[in-house]
Amino acid sequence: MEFYVYHDFMLHTKNIVYILMGLFVLGFWGFWAFMISRDEEIHKFPEHDKE
Amino acid sequence: MSANNKGFWTPANIITAVIFAFGLLVTVLRFTKGLSSVTNLDQNNPWGFWIGFDLLCGVVLAAGGYTTSAACYLFGLKKYHSAVRPAILTAFLGYSLVVFALLYDVGRPYRLVYPIFYQPGTTSFLYEVGLCVFLYVSTLAVEFSPALFEWLGMKKVRNAITKLTLPLTVFGVILSTLHQSSLGALYITVPSKLHPLWYSPYLAVLFFVSSIPAGLSMVIFEGTLAHKAWHNMMDDTFNAEHDGVILGFSRGAAMSLAAYFCVKVVALAYDNNWHYLATGWGAWWLLEVVGFVLIPSLMYAIGSREKNIPLIKWAAVMTVFGIILNRLNVGLIAFNWQLPSSARYFPSFLEIAFSIFVVTLGVTLYRFIVSRMPIFFEHPDYKDAH
Repeated sequence: MEFYVYHDFMLHTKNIVYILMGLFVLGFWGFWAFMISRDEEIHKFPEHDKE
Repeated sequence: MSANNKGFWTPANIITAVIFAFGLLVTVLRFTKGLSSVTNLDQNNPWGFWIGFDLLCGVVLAAGGYTTSAACYLFGLKKYHSAVRPAILTAFLGYSLVVFALLYDVGRPYRLVYPIFYQPGTTSFLYEVGLCVFLYVSTLAVEFSPALFEWLGMKKVRNAITKLTLPLTVFGVILSTLHQSSLGALYITVPSKLHPLWYSPYLAVLFFVSSIPAGLSMVIFEGTLAHKAWHNMMDDTFNAEHDGVILGFSRGAAMSLAAYFCVKVVALAYDNNWHYLATGWGAWWLLEVVGFVLIPSLMYAIGSREKNIPLIKWAAVMTVFGIILNRLNVGLIAFNWQLPSSARYFPSFLEIAFSIFVVTLGVTLYRFIVSRMPIFFEHPDYKDAH
């Protein structure tokens, strides 16, 4: 891809970075969910669980 | 101790003595015949292995001090309290040896204090690094001193200093944030010398973010080695908390390594350097970033999920190696990458021998301290002090 002015370059790279950041946020959520998925559940309302 | 029964000349002590002899040789040559007698430094490469390994790696691997004390005292995770003293000791020795190695590397070592007391260059990153390291070594000395005073039986001084724990921790975290990032910022000044895959305007962010998993991994790595060597010295609390420290820190390391990976990729995207990935340098970059950042991050996550302690320990080893590789890449390997091979720098035998001497000195001091002072156990007089 050719860039004729600096603005073209910034627009191109920033576009990619914003897309990457969105993917990373989703990735972080998935990564954290994967890591804690085997943790014991914290029962905040044990009386509710009995019902 | 059992080592005393075997006599002084054990294999470990003989190897240490040989390394110390090389250290003495370098010391004599360096201070009588100058830097050129022991190093391969030249006008193209004024910063060599002693900066790339002793300083950059020494500082980042000593980050366990601020990460552990921040986790315990600032975030209130008291279950990691047993890991604080070993981490502070490692950080204190690490930073002290950075300054020690710098005395050899600086052309006129007696002027090391000039930037702080005579000519502060307040617009220079190097000044900021120097000031922060000077203040942080002093802070670590005070943070470590309660163990020394407990050993010496100086109760009043010890009790007075422990009251400063919280402000010292805050001060230490601020200083570490500043100089860990500034070490990276130093290389922002050399965009034409550092390979584009490693150069980034975000080098300061990269150096700071990478210091967090490096510190956490060093605590796990060093704790594992310490458990093998000094298990008999550790008290019940220390042994009981050990696995919890590893599991807890593995989560922190997994997330911070993932964050570091993301910042590395974002830095690559910002400069549109994707095309370099198809070159030999790209393969080397991918080895560092995928092999020693992304994979250890996944290993930490799986290890933490499955409560697989050996996997976490291997992830810690890989992370430590990966961070060392990154600092060597920035400081040496990818630095002056465009020069012909005849003009490239490779450390001399004595430079490497000196760095081994510095590491061995650190291990020897660590051994000396932990076998005497209350590092892996609580002093009987202060059992209820925490």
